[in-house]
Amino acid sequence: MDLQELKKLEQKRRVRYGYMWALFCAVLWGLWYLPGTVVWDLNPFDEMFGEIAAASGDDVSLVVTAVLISGFNALTVIIALLVWNGVLGKYGEMKRTLKEFKPCSKWFFLGSIFGGPVAILGSFIAMGFVGGAFAAVAALMYPVVGSILASQWYGEKISRRAAIGIFMIIIGGLIIFGGGLFAELGSGNIGWIGYLGGLMAAVGWGIEGAIAGKGLDIAEPDIGITIRFLGENIIWWIILIPLLAITGFPMIKYALLAFEPLTILVLVFAGITFGFCYVSWYKSFPLIGVGRGQGIGNLYGMFAVIFIILFFGDVPSWTLLLGGAFCLLGSFTMFSEETGGLESLRGE
Amino acid sequence: MVQTAAAMEAYNGYWANAYLPAADILWIVVILIVALLALWQARTFVSKF
Repeated sequence: MDLQELKKLEQKRRVRYGYMWALFCAVLWGLWYLPGTVVWDLNPFDEMFGEIAAASGDDVSLVVTAVLISGFNALTVIIALLVWNGVLGKYGEMKRTLKEFKPCSKWFFLGSIFGGPVAILGSFIAMGFVGGAFAAVAALMYPVVGSILASQWYGEKISRRAAIGIFMIIIGGLIIFGGGLFAELGSGNIGWIGYLGGLMAAVGWGIEGAIAGKGLDIAEPDIGITIRFLGENIIWWIILIPLLAITGFPMIKYALLAFEPLTILVLVFAGITFGFCYVSWYKSFPLIGVGRGQGIGNLYGMFAVIFIILFFGDVPSWTLLLGGAFCLLGSFTMFSEETGGLESLRGE
Repeated sequence: MVQTAAAMEAYNGYWANAYLPAADILWIVVILIVALLALWQARTFVSKF
């Protein structure tokens, strides 16, 4: 076998791994919706929602409770990521990356701002002020933002075939959540803040992906994502939660009440799914590019609906079958792309 | 804080109509299997690249 053939084989393996990681991300993200949904009905979050809703209304209560849940989610995510890095023997590399703030860690801390309070909070605001289907559809748009930004910022190439694949997956997601979306939009009386939340979700995750792509030029994805969640924990636990506590919301009281076996179990599994999903997302970027990684990651919408049907017993609708077909077609369009074209992910 | 009867009823209600058997335990098992599979692939990946 000559050098050219070996190079081709290596490239093929890299691309195959890239798509595998993006697919792991989508499956784990879909699974996250199981603990991510049930945790709202468990105490102390159930009682917290009730207490704040009685004083400030349901919408405010949803966002404030979401901040505490997101804080706990970030906490269990970082524990899961420490286990991940421990198994891979990367603690030494983590120390080295953390020390190199200017060339390296700053990108991941910046990513935590866009992925944490901007995207996650935006998603919850969209959910609270418009509805769950609108929040899901808005979030599906993030690969458009991510791939445009990566292309404009550091010249990441996005082939025609990959762009078609991303477009088809977005259309698939639109069909899956379409019925709920029109019902929510048709109900009228929707404040602009709900739409702003949707925009925050799409732009936040899109920008985070592009920033991560830049940071991953010089850092390992497993370490990069751990630093990103360190940043997110600082934002929730040192800035936002104390700030809400100062303004009079019972944040500390309910944070201390969260240490209940079933609540902790559900939060731990939310942390495992979210943490491992995020690390898989980051691992896919250097191998197949931000646009493709985010495009395949978008299959989470389809997986979330499938897991919710299987585990919660919801009745599948025709929109799932049609939207799922679009998602599969979009994924296949991307998977079947000639790997030679992906030899260099960046422009000349 | 101990879970109230209402909270437990809501929690158990989620799994009551599942298409899969023992869904209240199975979701944990499925997550563990997928997570371990990802971790195993990550170790394989580290050794290959």
